[in-house]
Amino acid sequence: MIHEKLYETYLTSLLDGERSKCHDIVQKLLDDRIDIKKIYTDLFQRSMYRVGELWENNRITVANEHLSTSITESLLNLAYPSIFARERIGRKVVISCAANEFHQIGGKMVADIFELNGWDGYFLGANSPIEDTIRFVHDAQPDVVGFSLSILSNLDCLKRTIEAFRSDFSNMDLLIGGQAFRWGGIDTIKQYDGTEYIQSLDHLEKMINRM
Amino acid sequence: MEWDQHISFETNAYFKDRAPVLFFLLSNGGKIVETNQYAQTITGRHLIGENIQDLMVDFNDTFHLPTLINDPSKEHLLNISTASGLPQSFYFSFKKVMGKIVMFGRLDTEELENMRKELVSLNQELNNIMRELHKTNAQLKRLNEEKNRFLGMAAHDLRKPIGLIISYSEFLIEEAKNLLDADQISFLNTINVSCVFMKHLVDDFLDVSAIEAGRFELDLQPAFIHEILANSLQLNKLQADKKGIDLQVNSDESLPRTIIDAPKLEQAITNLVTNAIEHASPGSLVSISLSCDQRFMNFSVKDEGPGMAPEEMDKLFKPFEKTSAKKTAGEKSTGLGMLITRKIIEAHGGTIWIDSRVGKGTTAYFKIPVPKG
Repeated sequence: MIHEKLYETYLTSLLDGERSKCHDIVQKLLDDRIDIKKIYTDLFQRSMYRVGELWENNRITVANEHLSTSITESLLNLAYPSIFARERIGRKVVISCAANEFHQIGGKMVADIFELNGWDGYFLGANSPIEDTIRFVHDAQPDVVGFSLSILSNLDCLKRTIEAFRSDFSNMDLLIGGQAFRWGGIDTIKQYDGTEYIQSLDHLEKMINRM
Repeated sequence: MEWDQHISFETNAYFKDRAPVLFFLLSNGGKIVETNQYAQTITGRHLIGENIQDLMVDFNDTFHLPTLINDPSKEHLLNISTASGLPQSFYFSFKKVMGKIVMFGRLDTEELENMRKELVSLNQELNNIMRELHKTNAQLKRLNEEKNRFLGMAAHDLRKPIGLIISYSEFLIEEAKNLLDADQISFLNTINVSCVFMKHLVDDFLDVSAIEAGRFELDLQPAFIHEILANSLQLNKLQADKKGIDLQVNSDESLPRTIIDAPKLEQAITNLVTNAIEHASPGSLVSISLSCDQRFMNFSVKDEGPGMAPEEMDKLFKPFEKTSAKKTAGEKSTGLGMLITRKIIEAHGGTIWIDSRVGKGTTAYFKIPVPKG
């Protein structure tokens, strides 16, 4: 459980660019053995959604938004020793950002949630060329592949990515998610067979448990 | 006030207080007569009355006002000293107006944007590498645990049959010595010696496997450390005698009983004394000292062997690493003894260190804290 007051302190520190304060808060939560999934959803995801809203409403600058993202991304590293130490279940997922998509933190958190559930979660990073992603998938032979999209204007890029992917892997399960879909595009994604839209990290975990 | 005057007034006010552009009004000699808020914020200085030359970071002495004002349409890339102490590049233009010089400076926004993109991308790459590093580290840890489990199991299963071979070979050497010829006795001795070494190796493997798996625990009981040393010397005496080595012992027998794991500490002391004997030149001296002060029990063993170069010291406590210092009678080593010894000393809250010089011999020291009360 992450208390509202702690969340507010964390968010303020994040927006002020106070990396060390944020670091201390997250480290304390990890030391207190707070469920990592809770830290991901109730601290990282919630604060990043808020940062996104503030930016969209012109309350903070793009530099502010980038700094908050950069701090959050570096804080994920604190949880990795616990996340990767989990017992493996022998299943693999590859998560990638569409070509031209420069926001990667959401996709990375998705790969981490898979890791938390014992999967091997490979994350290919921002702006991954589709040829590289397809080559990696051929090598890794995952059970599932996921694409993340943060900016709706990149939807066409994502469509091209899905189509290129489908021509090589017609039967592989495909997950799509990201903040872009708050503004639309879900119907476009649903046209592709074997493709599921993931709304949130909670939704993702429920789906992982069904797999 | 006329409309255009009004606009001009507002523009000037905005320009002076808010615009992200450097503005300086200079005298012909380069003295700053007027400036704007942005220039003062960027430089962290009041600026009025200063010479513009003093603000520039001019490595090649190229800032020359009369030349710069020659072409008002041209922009010049120049550096100024900022409040952070770092130079910052601006594109400057100069114009002469009514006997004074007007100087504007602008940032290259395209360059800043590229830098920001590059920074974000580098940061992402760094974090992705960190993630890979953590992931690979966890995989290596799992593999290492598996290796230790296998090592422990294999060593445990080997220990019993090796013990049987040792016992039976000893029995045969003793009981059948009158029935066998010299070659056959020698074969039996080789079997026995090899199996004793193999047993040491297996015991060391078991210790290392327990250490690496975090299962290395002490069984602490009250004991006299000088008795432990005496036991260890008894075990080593035969080997020392064979090489004609004089074991000189300075042990304080009035040392109080203390809380230690006696078998493990004996193993550590035996390892160190055996090492000293094995590296000592035949007929030389090995000095052993055991003493106690208010806080620590101090042990040292010094040999007059070949010694080691400083760069080899780090290898000493690593598994299976061997230094160039050869044992003087070709004795075998598992390469694990010093690692185990260090772990035993550290588990007692102590420290171990080595002092060695090529051609001068080696001294191994350890100290362990004396429990209070």
